[in-house]
Amino acid sequence: MKPVGLEHYLVVSGLLFCLGLWGVIVRRNLLIIYMSLELMLNAANLALVAFSRFNNKLDGQVMVFFVITVAAAEVAVGLALIVALYRKKQSAHVEDLTTMKS
Amino acid sequence: MHDAFFYIFAILTVFCAVMVVANPVSRSPITSAMFLVLTITCMAALFVQLHAFFLAAVQILVYAGAVMVLFLFVIMLLDLKEEERRRIKAVSAGLGTLAVGSILFLIIKSTLQFGQAGAIPPHTEGSTASLGKLLFSNYVLPFEILSLLLLVAMVGVILLSKKDLK
Amino acid sequence: MNFDYAQLFSAAIPETVVVITAFLALLVDFIFLRNLPARTRTSLLATVTAVGCLSAIAWMGVSHSTYRLDDAIFVVNPMTQLVKQIILALTIFTAFISVQTNFTRHLGEYFILLLLASAGMMFLVSAENILAIFLALELLSLSLYVLTAFNKQSVFSAEAALKYFLFGGMSAAFTLFGLSLIYGVTGEMNLTAIAAKLAGKTTDPLFYVALVMTVIGFGFKVAAAPFHMWAPDAYQGSPTPVTSFIAAGSKVASFFILAKILFTGFAGAEGDAGWHHYISGWTPVLAILAALSVIIGNLAAISQKSVKRLLAYSAIAHGGYALLGILTADQKGFASLIYYVTTYALTVIGAFGVVAVVENYGGDKLSDFAGLSRRAPILSACMMVFMLSLAGIPPLAGFFGKFYVFTSAIQLGAKSLGLLWLVILAIAMSAVSLYYYLQVLKQIYVVDASDKTTVSVALPTQFVIVALAIAVVVLGCVPNLLVGKILAALSLG
Repeated sequence: MKPVGLEHYLVVSGLLFCLGLWGVIVRRNLLIIYMSLELMLNAANLALVAFSRFNNKLDGQVMVFFVITVAAAEVAVGLALIVALYRKKQSAHVEDLTTMKS
Repeated sequence: MHDAFFYIFAILTVFCAVMVVANPVSRSPITSAMFLVLTITCMAALFVQLHAFFLAAVQILVYAGAVMVLFLFVIMLLDLKEEERRRIKAVSAGLGTLAVGSILFLIIKSTLQFGQAGAIPPHTEGSTASLGKLLFSNYVLPFEILSLLLLVAMVGVILLSKKDLK
Repeated sequence: MNFDYAQLFSAAIPETVVVITAFLALLVDFIFLRNLPARTRTSLLATVTAVGCLSAIAWMGVSHSTYRLDDAIFVVNPMTQLVKQIILALTIFTAFISVQTNFTRHLGEYFILLLLASAGMMFLVSAENILAIFLALELLSLSLYVLTAFNKQSVFSAEAALKYFLFGGMSAAFTLFGLSLIYGVTGEMNLTAIAAKLAGKTTDPLFYVALVMTVIGFGFKVAAAPFHMWAPDAYQGSPTPVTSFIAAGSKVASFFILAKILFTGFAGAEGDAGWHHYISGWTPVLAILAALSVIIGNLAAISQKSVKRLLAYSAIAHGGYALLGILTADQKGFASLIYYVTTYALTVIGAFGVVAVVENYGGDKLSDFAGLSRRAPILSACMMVFMLSLAGIPPLAGFFGKFYVFTSAIQLGAKSLGLLWLVILAIAMSAVSLYYYLQVLKQIYVVDASDKTTVSVALPTQFVIVALAIAVVVLGCVPNLLVGKILAALSLG
C-alpha cells in the first residue's frame, strides 16, 4: 500500500465536502442543514491544513484559524435566525419557508 | 504506525460524517449533533497527524465545545417533535445524490491525478509560537476584521433572539 | 520581527473612520436619542453616517498613497480608492432612504450593522489575498443576513433572512473549498503570486475543480442564474432600504472582487501585464451563467406582481449583463464593468427609495403604484428616470452602461471568443425587459388611483431620490465624468 500522502487527506476532505453538500440538498431540517454546512467548512479546513503541511508553509494554518472563528460566528447568527423564525412560524423546516411564493 | 493512525481516524471521520447527514436509525437532530462532535474530534486527531497542534486544540475547544453547545441549546429550545415524522422526498434525494456524486467523482479523480502529491516533507515549521507571531504581525489586519465580524455576530444575535421590546 | 503597524494604520484610515462612525452611531443612539420620535432619530443617525462616510471619502480624495501589505492582504491603489468612494456614497444614500421607513425601533443597531457591512465591502475591495477575501466577504454577508431579518414584525423578513443565510452559507463553503484547493495547487495565498505560479504550466485538473467551485460560490453571491433562487425572496422580504443596499453596494463589491480574482488571480500570465491573457477555463462557465441570468431574470420578471420581486429578477438579469463585462477580460471590459455596476447601483437605490415611500401607503404591489403621478409628481418623475435607465433607454446612464459592456464584448468577439451570440441574446432580452419596466410606468402614469391621498415624503429621502435621478441623467449625458475617472485610476494602478 502507498504511504499516506497528501492525496489521502484530500480524498477524506472531498468526501466530507460532498457529504455536507448532500445533507444540505436532501435534508429538510434546518438544524441538520446547518450541521451539513459545518461539515463542508470543515472539509475545507482539513484540505487547508493538509496543504499547509505538504507545502511546508504556515499560512494555511492561519487561514484555518480564521475559518473556525468565522464558522462559529456564522452558526451563532444562523441559529438566532432559526429562533427568530420559530417565534413566528413554530417550525424549523425548509419546506415551510414558502410564505412569499404567492 | 503513522499510516495506521491515519486510516483509523480517517475512516472514523467519514463514518461519523455519514451518521450526521444520513443516520439510518434516527432522524433526530440530537444524534446528528452528537455525531458531529465525534467527526470534529476525529478531525482534530487528523490535525495532530499533520502537526497542527494548536488548531487541533482550537478545533476541539471552539467547535466541539462552543459551537456544539450552541446547537444543543437551540435544539432544546425549539420543540422539534414533529420533525421526525416527515419523510425525505425521493425525487429531490435522487437528484441531489446524482449531483453530489458527480462532484465527488470529479474531486477524487482530479485529486488522484494531482501532480504535486508526494511524501510528507520533513517537519520544519508549525509551532504554535510561530503561528502566533504570524497572527499578530502579518495577519494583524485580518485579525482586526475578525473582531468586527464577532461584533456583528454579537449585535445580530442579541437583536434577533431578544423578544421585541415594545 | 519588525512589522510596520503605523504604515498599515495610515493606509487603513478610511476603514477606521467608517468603523468608528459605526460605533458612534450606536453610542449616540443609546445615550442621546432614545426618547426622540423615530423619524428624527433616523435622520440624525443618517446624518452621523453621512458625515463619517463623507470624511472617509474626502480623505481618500486627498491622500494619493499606495500601499501593499505583505502577501497583498491589504492593497491600496487609485482603483480601490475609487471603488471604495463609490461604495461609501451608496451607503450614504441607503442611510437616507431608511429615514422614510419605520420597520424597527433598534436604530442604533441598524446603523452600526449598515456601516460595518460597508467596512466589510471596503476591506473586500482592498483584498488581494484569498484569506482576506474570504474574511471580508463573511463580514459583509453576516451583516447583511442580520439586516435582512431586521423587521421583526414581519414573517417575510425572518424567512428571507433564513433563505439568504442558507444560500450564503453554501456560497461561503463553495468559495472556501475552491480557494483552499487553489492554495493547495499553487501554495500561495496572494492573487498575484497565484497567477505567477499558474503561468505557463499545464494546468492541473484539480485547479479546474477549484475554479468551478469558486465561480459557483461567487455565482451565489452575485445571484447569477442558476444560483439565483435566494434573490427574489431575500429582496422581497427584507426591509426596503436593506434590499437596496444588497442590490447596490454588495453587488458593486462582489463584482469588483470577482473580476479581480479572475483577472489577477487566474490570469495565466505574469502579474499585472496579464490583462490580455487568461486561462480559458473560466470563460465558458461564466458565459453560461451570463446567458442563463439574462434569460431567466428577464422572463421571470414579466409575471411579477410585487415591484420588489420584479426588481429582484431584473437584478439577476443585470447581473448577467455585468458578467458579460467580466467575460471580456481586458482593461476596457473592466472599466465598462465598473461603470455598469456603479450606474446600476445608483439607479436601483433610487428605485427602491421610491418603493420604500410607496410602501408606507399599502404595499409594494404593482397596483399600489396606480396613479402615483397624481399623488407624488416629483417621485413619479424620478421613478420614470430609474425605470427607463434600467431598461437602457438613451440618454440615461443605464444605456451607456449596457453600450460600453456590449461594445467591449463585441470588439473582443472579433479576436477569438465569439461572444457575439451572447451580446445578441443580451440585446434581445433587454428589449424584453422594456415591457415590464413600462408596466410599472403604466401603473404610475396611466392607471387611475383608487386612493387619492397625496404621498408625503421625508425631506432627506426626497432629496436623495431626486439627487440620484439627476445623477442618472447626468452620468448618461456625460458618461466621461465617471469613465474618465475609472480609466485614470486603472492606468495609475
